[in-house]
Amino acid sequence: MVQSMETINVSFLTDSERDLILNVLRRDEELRHLEEKRVKRLKFELLEIRRKGAKRSSGNYSTRSCGRCQQPMGRLGSRTNQCPVCKHEVCQNCHAVRPNRAWVCSVCAKEADLKKSTGDWFYDQRVNRFSTAPGRDIVRTSLRKRPPTKKRETTGQVLLNSTELNSSQSLPVPRPRLKDLASSSENLQRSDTDSAERTSLSSSRADTDSLRNLTDCLSVSQSSLVHHINPCSEDFSDVDGIFKKSVRRVHKLSDFKPTSVTDLRKDAEEETTGSMGDRSKSVPGLNVDEDEEDEDIDNLVIMHRQSVGNSAASLRSSRSTLGSMMSVYSEAGDYDIVDVSGEIVFSLHYDETAQSLAVMVKECRGLAYADAAKKKCNPYVKSYLLPDKSRQSKKKTATKSKTINPTYNETLKYSISRSQLMTRTLQLSVWHYDRFGRNAFLGEVQLPLDCHDIDSAHEECVILRGKAAGSLAPSAFAQYKGELVISLKYVSEKKAPSEKQKAKKAKAESGGELHVLIKEAKNLSAMKAGGTSDSFVKGYLLPSKGKSTKKKTQVVKKTLNPHYDHTFIYKDLSLDQLRGVCLELTVWDREAMSSNDFLGGVRLSSGAAHLKEGKQEWVADSTGEEVSVWEKMMQFPDSWAEGTLPLRSSMGKKGK
Amino acid sequence: MTDGDYDYLIKLLALGDSGVGKTTFLYRYTDNKFNPKFITTVGIDFREKRVVYSTNSPNGTTGKAFKVHLQLWDTAGQERFRSLTTAFFRDAMGFLLMFDLTSQQSFLNVRNWMSQLQANAYCENPDIVLVGNKADLADQREVQEKQAKELADKYGIPYFETSAATGAQVDKAVVTLLDLVMKRMEQCVEKPTADAQNTDAASKLTAAPAAEKKCAC
Ligand SMILES: Nc1nc2c(ncn2[C@@H]2O[C@H](COP(=O)(O)OP(=O)(O)OP(=O)(O)O)[C@@H](O)[C@H]2O)c(=O)[nH]1
Ligand SMILES: [Mg+2]
Ligand SMILES: [Zn+2]
Ligand SMILES: [Zn+2]
Repeated sequence: MVQSMETINVSFLTDSERDLILNVLRRDEELRHLEEKRVKRLKFELLEIRRKGAKRSSGNYSTRSCGRCQQPMGRLGSRTNQCPVCKHEVCQNCHAVRPNRAWVCSVCAKEADLKKSTGDWFYDQRVNRFSTAPGRDIVRTSLRKRPPTKKRETTGQVLLNSTELNSSQSLPVPRPRLKDLASSSENLQRSDTDSAERTSLSSSRADTDSLRNLTDCLSVSQSSLVHHINPCSEDFSDVDGIFKKSVRRVHKLSDFKPTSVTDLRKDAEEETTGSMGDRSKSVPGLNVDEDEEDEDIDNLVIMHRQSVGNSAASLRSSRSTLGSMMSVYSEAGDYDIVDVSGEIVFSLHYDETAQSLAVMVKECRGLAYADAAKKKCNPYVKSYLLPDKSRQSKKKTATKSKTINPTYNETLKYSISRSQLMTRTLQLSVWHYDRFGRNAFLGEVQLPLDCHDIDSAHEECVILRGKAAGSLAPSAFAQYKGELVISLKYVSEKKAPSEKQKAKKAKAESGGELHVLIKEAKNLSAMKAGGTSDSFVKGYLLPSKGKSTKKKTQVVKKTLNPHYDHTFIYKDLSLDQLRGVCLELTVWDREAMSSNDFLGGVRLSSGAAHLKEGKQEWVADSTGEEVSVWEKMMQFPDSWAEGTLPLRSSMGKKGK
Repeated sequence: MTDGDYDYLIKLLALGDSGVGKTTFLYRYTDNKFNPKFITTVGIDFREKRVVYSTNSPNGTTGKAFKVHLQLWDTAGQERFRSLTTAFFRDAMGFLLMFDLTSQQSFLNVRNWMSQLQANAYCENPDIVLVGNKADLADQREVQEKQAKELADKYGIPYFETSAATGAQVDKAVVTLLDLVMKRMEQCVEKPTADAQNTDAASKLTAAPAAEKKCAC
């Protein structure tokens, strides 16, 4: 570990040299933003294609239809019709010939193209070199939460973000493990998934064992630190993490405080965490059952599962979740549907010296009534700089009472650099505020700022629209929430190691295991200051919702593209059983003092699994890639099925 | 400002001793101009150029054309910037390793640069082109073509003698590097994604790609 970080010392630079370099880095930043936008656009295109294609349920496999376009195929489908990459049987129309004259299916072809055009071919390779953990020492590996391997991060970016090259600073930059160069040819032959699995397997062991184990690890790691001349800072931060857990507990006892206190507690928290982080303290709270500290997460999951209307009502009473949940549900279409009408008048002005965008909301005209019969309308305007949906991004005007022609003349200000602004979309939405009922959505406008005049401050009048993606049939995928990259493997029961028969599939094994490798997430929504999130993934194998099926990864901090490299293992499962279950993976932003924020989720199953949860019965609504990865996993036991799955913006379930 | 209308962003980086002509070389490549003045580079810098890259299909005809946006990183050769400049090595997809044909010392240092690269680049054997610059100064030449060629062969990389003053071979050197990078990209992506466990599936593949060249991506 020590050898994998090196510090760039920039303290020797003179002021003018620093300025010169800063200018270069700023130019680089501009190019990077341009590139980020381009990459996002490309990935979105792929998502669209993927969503349309792919098999829906296992039944379709036997009826010979194309795995991509679903058209029926001829009788004599020879094995050459199977895409070598995704294993779908596809028709001739869905063949795409690659430059090396081999063919793959149209979706895999698009994926390969994307790997090239986004530069992922390069970053994927680089990640291997700069972050591979030497997985020998299990204790150290399990304790160490590797620094988020921000795959696409560049040195220029690190330098620029490092508080503008502060003179006294040394900056950590990942270095390859030089000591292991000798063994690296062997290293390189190992597949990516393989090595990731090794490290993550060891860490999941620590995870499932009790915290007692952690205590052991802690002391081991501390003593091992002593042997290092340069103790690496990560190990310390992990120790801090354990302390923080106990801090959380203390505060949970006071969760009954009235709402108005919430804001104050934020400060209090920082203080406490600071002093608790002191390593000289003993380790309180380590015997605490780990499950307690994320009970609130479970509640959130359950709420997400409940039908939309119910959960909105129950949320009323839940102080801390209100903000984030409301926005989740409003994305999912949880608002009274009103026929949108009217327009909004506003002006935009970017102040170069202050580096801030002023959104002057002047007025709205001719709004719809939230309740036409009672002529109810108390409108306010809310703004976001999408894709950031965090609290920093959210601004509101005052609420005007009983009018459909409100005048605000209020300025909402955002501190943001121009180059950043170019990647954002200003969303202005109008809402009816209801003290007792629920707020109603009255319309919105979305302005991509890269093609919008933000300098002249001229008044604009834009017609309000309904929710961007079809407000009547809100899809869980309507909102782009990023992607989750996972690999699934069904490990069939091992007989005597010598006998390796091929016809394993025929037998119904009950002692098999489902391995779920949570690799990484991409383009998550930002929930924290600085446009990042501290995320983790949680898994349930439904319908059994006991603690036995609950798993979670470590928290990966300060990135929207976290690498988890963590494996969940579900034991004693037969292939038959897998057909009737549903694996639900949800991504959460870890909020230290309040409830975690939901970032998105996926639901893996063979598509039409009927599940019973208590008295409730529902059908897993897995679609597209969610189904195809699951099917591929079942079709090819003992090999990995990898998939990049679009995250759903809500996990609401369809009853039966 | 540039627009986002390109197919690939390819990042190359020039390295070598101070004064060998990295900055001047890149300026010639991007702007087709020569600057006789020596203004040593502070830390790092970069230039950009948009080019069209077309692949040759197997039957010899030119295939598809792509718009490539090149980001050409220029590093300071001076020792005192070393920790800063080597940190940028990991972000580049290909390298122009330059020395000065009129300076034996700059040539001797090539092997040091080579090991810096191997230690800090995104992989152990990245794509590199060796460039002997200032070929126009024939009367001051200290490094013979044969010597340099031998060294390049030892590393298995192409070698070019260029002149930023006349422009000779400058484009050729960059385009050769770009071609190597594009080929590697192709190879990384197009090889079937059969992982170790998937052996039955992998063996079924008839059109296995030619033996892996260098990278194990
Ligand atoms: N005659 C001739 N002069 C050259 C050529 N290339 C560069 N020079 C000169 O060599 C000097 C050094 O060139 P630079 O490009 O600044 O050198 P550099 O490698 O960038 O040096 P650092 O930035 O210090 O690392 C300048 O005076 C250039 O004009 C060439 O091909 N022919
Ligand atoms: Mg220079
Ligand atoms: Zn088809
Ligand atoms: Zn395919």
